[in-house]
Amino acid sequence: MIDKRLFKLKGIFHTLISLIFMTGIQGLAILAQGIFLAKAIVDFWQGKETMSTVINLTFFAVAFLVRQLLVVIKNQHMSSYADETVETYRIQLLKKYTEQGTTIVSEQGTGNAVTTLGVGLDNVKNYFQLLLVKVFDLSIIPWLIFLYIFYIKWEQAVFLLLIFPVIIIFFIILGLAAQSKADAEFLNFKNLNNRFVDALRGLPTLKQLGLAKKYSAEIYQISEDYRKTTMRTLRIAMMSTFALDFFTTLSIAVVAVFLGFDLLNGKMTLLPALTILILAPEYFLPLRNFSDDYHATLNGKNAFTDVLSMIEQPQVENQKILQLSSWHTKNQLSLKNINFSYDNQPVLKNISFETKGYQKIALVGESGSGKSTLLNIISGFLLPNSGQIKIDNQELPHLGQVDWQKNFFYMPQHPYIFHDTLRENIKFYAQQANDDEVNTAVQQAGLTNLIDELPEGLDSIIGESGRQISGGQAQRIALARMLLDDQRKVLFFDEPTAHLDIETEYDLKQTIAPILSKHLVFFATHRLHWLDQMDYVLVMKNGMIVEQGTPKQLLSDEQSQLNQLRYELGGIK
Amino acid sequence: MKRVKQLLLKDRWIVPFLKLQKSGLFWSILLTLMTIIAAAALMFVSGYLISRAAQRPDNILMIYVPIVLTRGFGIARPIFRYAQRLVSHNWVLRFVSQSRRRLYESVASTASNIRGKLQTGKILSLLADDLDQLQNLYLRTLFPLGAGLLLYLIFSIAFGVVDWRFMLWWLFMLTLITIIVPLISFFANRTRVYKQKQLQSQLYTDATDAVLGLQDWILSGRQNDLIAKQGRIMTQLAKTKNAGMRFGWWRDFLIQVLVLVLALTILIWSGFHFAGNQTAVNFIAAFTLAVFPLVDNFISVNQGVSEMSVYEDSIERLNALPVAENKVSKYEKVTHTTISLKNVTFKYDGRSVIDSLDLSIKPGEKIALLGRSGSGKTTLLKLIAGDVKPIAGSIEIGNQPVSLLQDHLSKVIAVLDQQSYLFDTTILNNVRMGNVTATDDQVQAAIEKTGLGPLIDTLPNGYHTQMKEAGARFSGGEQQRFALARVLLQDAPIVILDEPTVSLDPKTENDVLKQIFDVLKDRTVIWVTHHLTGIDNVDQVYFLENGHFVLGDTPEKLRTTSSHFRQLLAMDGLN
Repeated sequence: MIDKRLFKLKGIFHTLISLIFMTGIQGLAILAQGIFLAKAIVDFWQGKETMSTVINLTFFAVAFLVRQLLVVIKNQHMSSYADETVETYRIQLLKKYTEQGTTIVSEQGTGNAVTTLGVGLDNVKNYFQLLLVKVFDLSIIPWLIFLYIFYIKWEQAVFLLLIFPVIIIFFIILGLAAQSKADAEFLNFKNLNNRFVDALRGLPTLKQLGLAKKYSAEIYQISEDYRKTTMRTLRIAMMSTFALDFFTTLSIAVVAVFLGFDLLNGKMTLLPALTILILAPEYFLPLRNFSDDYHATLNGKNAFTDVLSMIEQPQVENQKILQLSSWHTKNQLSLKNINFSYDNQPVLKNISFETKGYQKIALVGESGSGKSTLLNIISGFLLPNSGQIKIDNQELPHLGQVDWQKNFFYMPQHPYIFHDTLRENIKFYAQQANDDEVNTAVQQAGLTNLIDELPEGLDSIIGESGRQISGGQAQRIALARMLLDDQRKVLFFDEPTAHLDIETEYDLKQTIAPILSKHLVFFATHRLHWLDQMDYVLVMKNGMIVEQGTPKQLLSDEQSQLNQLRYELGGIK
Repeated sequence: MKRVKQLLLKDRWIVPFLKLQKSGLFWSILLTLMTIIAAAALMFVSGYLISRAAQRPDNILMIYVPIVLTRGFGIARPIFRYAQRLVSHNWVLRFVSQSRRRLYESVASTASNIRGKLQTGKILSLLADDLDQLQNLYLRTLFPLGAGLLLYLIFSIAFGVVDWRFMLWWLFMLTLITIIVPLISFFANRTRVYKQKQLQSQLYTDATDAVLGLQDWILSGRQNDLIAKQGRIMTQLAKTKNAGMRFGWWRDFLIQVLVLVLALTILIWSGFHFAGNQTAVNFIAAFTLAVFPLVDNFISVNQGVSEMSVYEDSIERLNALPVAENKVSKYEKVTHTTISLKNVTFKYDGRSVIDSLDLSIKPGEKIALLGRSGSGKTTLLKLIAGDVKPIAGSIEIGNQPVSLLQDHLSKVIAVLDQQSYLFDTTILNNVRMGNVTATDDQVQAAIEKTGLGPLIDTLPNGYHTQMKEAGARFSGGEQQRFALARVLLQDAPIVILDEPTVSLDPKTENDVLKQIFDVLKDRTVIWVTHHLTGIDNVDQVYFLENGHFVLGDTPEKLRTTSSHFRQLLAMDGLN
């Protein structure tokens, strides 16, 4: 019932002891409330209201208030504890994200990683908050009531005790039946749901095909099928709550009838009988509350597992071996016999090359030839399975080195634009940059037109749910970022222009070309016109470097792999 | 307050459905009411039963009726509750079916032929979520509230019969509990709910920024900034949420206090009212104990009503949707298919997107359109397809204004765009959507023509293979070929190609383009492209800039006359 992992939380015992203490008092208040109410009713029933009736009523009211007050206090107590715990998890989680880098995101999936940070942590909070209160209510309150009833009339108490496991057993059995029914219908559900989403997503195509109007009957049919399937499942799923309800209310009725017979036969008086009748619903209440939130706790439990499994991911080791202040003309990088596999499929095979100082290296090849993977190995986002890497004379296990990361800038195909002002986006890598520096970068990156278009210029909000930025503009913003931080002398480009229209590509090339000088550049692309900016080419095919040399040298050889690639890409047979 | 009023006045989604499904609504509320009454009655009867038994009547028959009733109500409550839950869920799901259809019709009526995709998808899933939200509005708010108000009425009448002064007291207390406290709670919560929603979406944006921009956070060495930035919103959100929860806890506490007052007054009232009468005195316990089971309904009414502001956005969004029209315009068969644009101007946000443009495309002619993003390519296609209307000028196909063709456009114009959608059904059914009356042979012939024959032969189920959602089973190039087969079958004389190969790798792009122009040789083709690969397939190339053509001629002529064109060709390795 209680997750064992909960006991490893910081400060949990302290919190739980207070919770147990408060629940105990609450249980006693419930008893007092029942007893004094019964006494007051009996006073009126006997028609002899006295001073003691007033006292009974007062005690009843006080007990009632104490009990309700404790509900609020307990909730607040657990809520603040849950907040603290979740905050610790949040920090740990983000730390882990930043340590692991993009690998954790690609493993978990972007959606999943985002959800865990938001809804996931929220569910964890609910879990701590709800679950513990309900579990301790259930493990304390019914038994206090049971003990008291046992003390005044043991037969009734035994009945209540025996019915308890019966209820739980039925609840579980019917719950399992519901689960298996739900499992059986799962495919059906998924199918129907998908078909609805499918129709919505395909709406533009339906419109183009002239079928948009005809499809509305289909939508209704799918929804009706969905309703029928849901109702089939619900009929069973609700049985478990029905069983719980049925046994608890029936037990109260049975208790009342037995009490009636005992009274009739003179075996007991009204006061104890009434007390038992009032306490009987209270005896079952914690169980009902627990089962009501059962599903919510399951969500929380899963979220908790997700968060923990992410936090417990092993850390990348040896990230601080490299000592490098800044890359300059004398520095050397060499890779020898690098191999990398993904899902046991070799992606890179025996990659070897060397470079020195400010060289501009093109990585070319068809899509799937491994050029992006190699770029990720050189930038340290992926760790090779085997091979030697050296910067100057330092042997490195991989390039995920802190000092290496400080020295390069990576331009992906779709640079990420943060939901922030254009200015903050540009200053992302150089927070201390002043307005003059920003303006220079803006000009060099060719962003002047964009800024003129924006109503608030540099202070316009862009990115997700802000103003939409076109692909070419996003590239320019990333270039401005790069320009503003001139400490980084190593540049990576991963197919920066292939998705742009040719005129934008042409314009952007005029901007990028001058930036490349005085940098070590790795440029992965299948747009071969970039070769005129490069000093050296690595031609890749099937995860291997099949040819390397200067562009001039390789292009002049009719039989070279580079020329073959050129013909294939140009559609010339 | 104004907004709430607006919502209620303009509502087309909540009240109309309530009217439409009266019997289900009636039963849902009645059964909710019966559940509460059965619970109260169980305590009422058993209170009476043991009080009466304690008087030790001579004959067991004297308590026979209460015994039977006690058992009866004990069984009735769970049964009512079970039935109520089934009936109300069924009702709500019926609502979902009908509103989904309406939602679809409404969105379909405004869908555009050209590039609606990304936005449509996002908006639609948002709206679908809104419908799910409304389910909760019914289940959690309207049904308990309806039952609560009925209960209010019944109890008041019942007490009115016994003692009108006490009835007034009850009326007062119940007004407080089921009307005044919920209303106060609703308005007190509104700002908070609003703020919470805002923070929540900000948190989502932040989380997206954190995850998708992770590489930049790491490379810039700003890991600590990231943690701090996330923390600020998180803490604020937690604060707002906690304030909301605290409010809820204290409100429930207040209701409990009011119930306490009710219980005390009913006990004292019945104590004095029934005093001295041997039979009536047994009602003291009955009345007092019956109060407590009502708490459940009181609390759920309050929770439901305070949550109502959560649904405001959803209702507003749904109400903002256009009403689908069902009139179909008259269709005169297009006799010839010359497209002619004369002096066409289109403005967006005051800016000319298309500026006094003239264009004429003869039947069977093939043209390519190039231009930077924002140059007006997409708008031009939308104008030709009639998705948007020009501010000035005329657009005609075969001497008929495009606006008259709208309901029959698919007979004249076919579209193949970046992500022509493939549905989760068989290959045969997917392609047949181009022409629902086509025979299996015709469909297969179309597929063969697009060069997919060898692929189909390798599939164990051949033409009956399921496509999976969005055609995920097949590669990008294969998907575009299936879409092309569908366009072929559609047999429209004009085909718009809206960057159909943009997401394909260069080699596949070459192959697919070759196939496209091969099978479309008899038709008019308007091709928007971002590269010059395959440009020799067209008769005319137009370059669009700021809403008009800056360059336009045959590819051969442009090669000799335009240095810009030659530069671009060199970029594509076509020199």
